[in-house]
Amino acid sequence: MIVVATNLTYFLSTAFLDPRANYLQLRPPRTPEQIAISLQRYNLDPGTPLLGRWWTWITGIVTRWDWGASPIGEPVNSEIAFRIGVSAQLVFFSVVLSTVIGIALGVYTASRQYKFADRFSQGLSLVTLNIPPAVAGLAVVLVAIAINQSVGTTLFFVAGAQSPTVSGFWPTVLDRIQHLVLPTISLTIISYATYHLLQRSLLLDNINSDYVRTARAKGLTRAEAIRRHGLRTSLIPVATSIAFAIPALFTGAVITETIFAWQGMGQYFIQTINKNDVHGAVAVAAFGALMTAVGAMLADIAVVALDPRVRVAA
Amino acid sequence: MTMNMPELVPTVDVADELTLEEQRSTRRKRLTRRQLYVRRFMRNRGAVVGLVVLGVLVLFCLFGSLLTSYTYSDVDFTSLTLAPSSDHYFGTNGAGNDTFAQSVHGLQRSLTIALIVSLLTTFIAAFVGCAAAYFRGNAEKIILGIVHFLLVVPSFLILALVSKKAGGDWRVLIIGLTVLGWMYNARVVWALATSLREREYVQAARFMGVGSVRIVMRHLIPNIGSLLIVTFTLGVVATVLGETALSFIGFGVQIPDVSLGTMLADGASTMSSAPWLFYFPAGLLTLLTVSMALIGDGLRDALDPTSRSGGRA
Repeated sequence: MIVVATNLTYFLSTAFLDPRANYLQLRPPRTPEQIAISLQRYNLDPGTPLLGRWWTWITGIVTRWDWGASPIGEPVNSEIAFRIGVSAQLVFFSVVLSTVIGIALGVYTASRQYKFADRFSQGLSLVTLNIPPAVAGLAVVLVAIAINQSVGTTLFFVAGAQSPTVSGFWPTVLDRIQHLVLPTISLTIISYATYHLLQRSLLLDNINSDYVRTARAKGLTRAEAIRRHGLRTSLIPVATSIAFAIPALFTGAVITETIFAWQGMGQYFIQTINKNDVHGAVAVAAFGALMTAVGAMLADIAVVALDPRVRVAA
Repeated sequence: MTMNMPELVPTVDVADELTLEEQRSTRRKRLTRRQLYVRRFMRNRGAVVGLVVLGVLVLFCLFGSLLTSYTYSDVDFTSLTLAPSSDHYFGTNGAGNDTFAQSVHGLQRSLTIALIVSLLTTFIAAFVGCAAAYFRGNAEKIILGIVHFLLVVPSFLILALVSKKAGGDWRVLIIGLTVLGWMYNARVVWALATSLREREYVQAARFMGVGSVRIVMRHLIPNIGSLLIVTFTLGVVATVLGETALSFIGFGVQIPDVSLGTMLADGASTMSSAPWLFYFPAGLLTLLTVSMALIGDGLRDALDPTSRSGGRA
């Protein structure tokens, strides 16, 4: 499936992206022949038959793990390698935060069903779940600018992953954190609500079940019974959905990365399309498909780890 | 939400029970199914709020242009980046466009795209899902294979490619969003329809010689109607979010046309100097998506016979 989807993307993006456009604005102007020669070096010349180009491209990947180069010669491999790291920072913290917040809120509200705290946070989650990512990101920026102005110094940076001038270990860590806080918050805002609502409804299904009542009858406190017996079973579907969400975030953080000017995968995706970078766009698609497969695997692992009924032979 | 409404008796109750209860209270009356749904929907306070907000938004995008003398493409060179005033209700942007007129037009655009796409995807999903379940065998395998394959395809990337090539024409955007948006719902519909196809009335229709397309249209699809209505409202939310995202990064609706997504992108660059360019589109978008989500929630509870959240009846 991944292979088929990737190849399909290759043909689609060659059909829709014209790398020659990148050379048309150059001064002095190039003749079509010159452009063709330049593009030929990167296996992008529309003069060569499509199947020929495809064959060169696919053998490059299979034999040398070389995903090709952009129309101006930047290798896709190194771009992606750099950007995965950037995206990973962003995704890691926001996934951890939204998981913890989502599940904690879900458990808290499920054990106080229909009380004020439950209704309030449910309403809030409904709103944040449906806020467009762009609105959430920009709202965070507005708040951060207001805080920066009231404090008087730049407490949070609204653009980039790091400052170029900072050196030394601790200053670098501090600088990274200052850059990381805002995008992480805005990603968390739009993703925690899914887990909250899911966890709440699942736990509500379990909280009145026989085995939780039995646990209470054995003398466990209500909190302990919910945590040890109710939560364990209801965590499984939540874990599955989180596992599937992680890979989607890698490419799905397009908007957040654009707003905060992070050079991650999402931003690379926009860049490849804007610069007619066929190979780059296909690599992004392949990465996305691979991440979906990884997500499916993570989900299986989560089920095995959490569900006592599933036993894998050691 | 567990209000007790003892004077209501649903139509599903058997007749003799009804007559018994009618003797006890003269105020009892039978409800048609529609009255029942409306009553259950109205009991959900959030859903009613959502409906009111959506109504206001629709009125705004239909008649908002009458309130101002500017159109969305008018450029007023004497007033660049002005804060909201009595002349320009929502202020103006850096090119001198009236933000109020742009909001009206952008909301119109976003709403049109979302409604059409959601209607089309819901219908395609219903038809394909039911057909796959009804025909069984190889046809089912092939249809499901196509659905699963389309689910793996990087749809956002393809959408961006197509839309960029088309220069941001909103009609192309509608086609793209529709073609790449129906698969997940088709899968859900299929799962439901596999149980529907075993029902007696489907068998009966088939033995009476009713054509298969007619069976799918008349007997299968109406019976998952409640699911489809909810799918439709949530589809509107998803489409608005998708269209906004595409337009925001510059691959959706493009200048000179305006949607709420492009307005957001416009406002993003002048956050600290001209925040009103961000406030109005952002507020409208959030109101739109949240109200639709509330309505979808309310509909789901109202149409689901096993749901208890709407109280009795």
